[in-house]
Amino acid sequence: MIGYIARRVAMALPTLLLVGIAVFTLMRLIPGDPAQLMLGDAADADSLARLRERLGLDQALPLQFLRWLTQVVQGDFGHSITNGLAVLPLVWERFQVSAGIVLIAVALAALVAVPAGLLAAWRQNRPLDVIIVAGATLLLSIPSFWLGLLLLLLFGLKLGWLPVVGYVAMGDDFGQGLLYVLLPIITLVMIETGVLTRMSRASAIEVLRLEYVTHARAKGVPEWQVLLRHVLPNAFAPTLTLIGLILGNLLGGIAVLETVFTLPGLGRLLVDAIYARDYPVVQGVMLFTALIYVLINLIVDLCYPIFDPRVAAQ
Amino acid sequence: MVWTWKRYLDPATGWRCLPELDGRGMTKITAVEAPNAKTVVFKLERAAGLFLATMARADCGASAIYHRSSLGPDGKWKEPVGTGPYKLLEWKKGQYVDLQRFDGYASLPGPRDGYTGGKKAEVEKVRFMVIPDEAAAKAALYSGAIDVFPEARSADVAELKANPQAKVDVVPAMGMIALLIQTRDPLLKDARIRKALALALDMPEMASAVTDGLSKPNSSAIPSSSPFYSAVHATGFKRDIAQAKKLLAEAGYAGQPIKMLTNKRYTVCFDAAVLAQAMAAEAGIKIDLEVLDWATQLDRYTKGDYQTMAFTYSARLDPSLSYEMISGPKATQPRKVWDDAFVQTRLAESMQTSDRARRQTLFDELHRKMMDDVPIIVLFNGTDAVGMRKSLTGYKSWAAAKPRLWNVK
Repeated sequence: MIGYIARRVAMALPTLLLVGIAVFTLMRLIPGDPAQLMLGDAADADSLARLRERLGLDQALPLQFLRWLTQVVQGDFGHSITNGLAVLPLVWERFQVSAGIVLIAVALAALVAVPAGLLAAWRQNRPLDVIIVAGATLLLSIPSFWLGLLLLLLFGLKLGWLPVVGYVAMGDDFGQGLLYVLLPIITLVMIETGVLTRMSRASAIEVLRLEYVTHARAKGVPEWQVLLRHVLPNAFAPTLTLIGLILGNLLGGIAVLETVFTLPGLGRLLVDAIYARDYPVVQGVMLFTALIYVLINLIVDLCYPIFDPRVAAQ
Repeated sequence: MVWTWKRYLDPATGWRCLPELDGRGMTKITAVEAPNAKTVVFKLERAAGLFLATMARADCGASAIYHRSSLGPDGKWKEPVGTGPYKLLEWKKGQYVDLQRFDGYASLPGPRDGYTGGKKAEVEKVRFMVIPDEAAAKAALYSGAIDVFPEARSADVAELKANPQAKVDVVPAMGMIALLIQTRDPLLKDARIRKALALALDMPEMASAVTDGLSKPNSSAIPSSSPFYSAVHATGFKRDIAQAKKLLAEAGYAGQPIKMLTNKRYTVCFDAAVLAQAMAAEAGIKIDLEVLDWATQLDRYTKGDYQTMAFTYSARLDPSLSYEMISGPKATQPRKVWDDAFVQTRLAESMQTSDRARRQTLFDELHRKMMDDVPIIVLFNGTDAVGMRKSLTGYKSWAAAKPRLWNVK
């Protein structure tokens, strides 16, 4: 097992290097640079040259890349151009905000979606199925920012139950922190429940058609046992893959929701950094996100044998 | 103060306005001395009427005076210890800045005056919050989570006025929205085409539509709120499609497309560009819009790499600075839109003399010249629209469009 994990992590290194090269190159291909943005419309050539020199942007691109790569290998992701903060602690701090919301939301969404999909598949083409599918389709059709704003206006403004803007880390004050992240979590749960329900239903329908399910029913196994013991474990594997992909995607940042709810998460950090052409931060966030993808997929792969022992045998 | 200024004048500090005051630009400060505890004397190499205005420039950090304890032993910033009614409590970068009342501050009597005058800290703490989404910021204002919503868009003003929890204060600001024209472009180097474009625009309609009626048209580089905004500057372009077509015919314009850059970060730029495109089409001028992100447009602006662009300039508090931001040698400063020797001599004089009447004459001349050359079509000045809780008293919008949280409770 340890050897397998080590091999997977080693296989990720070329991927991370490619991500680093791609992000570094692409960011430099976009016109505009941080010095121009910092100096604004009053930037004269001398001031620009001086600031570029101070930021190290006057050096040849291969040199800049090599310097950055050497630092990264040593665990130093550099410093933000716009605010001078060290990139790695900044990314980690912001990641914790995003991760806290995403992990809770995806877990809750899975808890709702998997049984809902199973029920819908069990009652395929009947009223319960139609209701669940319609609900799921509606949820996944709603743009997250719009749903977020509606919830914000309802619970924050109209009812006044929850705070509208701001953020308190749950580690500092759990109660207050929970209040601030409740709306983003609810929004994310609703959106992701739609996607996961559809996937869960489709997988369960396929499994329900298999012969061993018919055999179990013919033996007189109670229907709830058929569903929970025989259908659910086999139907969950594809949903687990999707959960892994969703987690990887969302942990890389939920920029839209973080913007609507004023959360200092990883997605907002990335978007702000792109607009500000804050190269070290963009590179740091992208590299970190790629690493998260790799780790999440590895964890998902390691979880497969729990639900399908055949995978472990292979 | 002497210590601060010596630090500003040290090239190692990297103060961005040093070139203006070390002999390369407007003048050279040869000495900063304090003959007694209440007097500071600046000695200049040559007269500079613009000296005080330059000190106050926002992009020069308003030449803020700070205590030497602001810096660590290594000479790097720790935290600013300045001269205001509030002191820095916490700065959570990207999230908020908390200020706390400085009890040792003695306010001048009288009302506030720009960044000077009476500055009484009426509240114990002030928090500047970063709220990136406008809808969320408005919801925060209505719910009472925040008290002030600065830089409200003109489209939001009516909504803010209608809300029972909110009120709005709107004043004309000194920033300007303009169409920049590249006078070195093979097509647009012909002043007749540039003038035809200006004559094709319905300025009052443009200003009204883009700002929801909050701004008046202004064709001058001097903001309408400036004391130097004379009757001469109030004369702008008046729409004349027939004259525009005549000029285009004389110039041999045959419908060649003209590319106009714009962006959506500043919606006034985008809206103005869309309207300009439609209005110009009536005169037979074909404009193609290219929408860029702000950083890219700023890059093209800095390099002078465009035919035309809808652009917004930040506030300049003195007319000389207003003209300086648009005029200069393109060879060394490609961002300048107006490269003309006559303009440079007049501008240089306006920066040296402190004779108000003479300066007014110079600015009037510059405006007339600009209307003839049309290197830029100034459309209107922005507004500083600030939404606030109805219960809040003492907050006033400002032509420089910067928030001032003193004398507010």
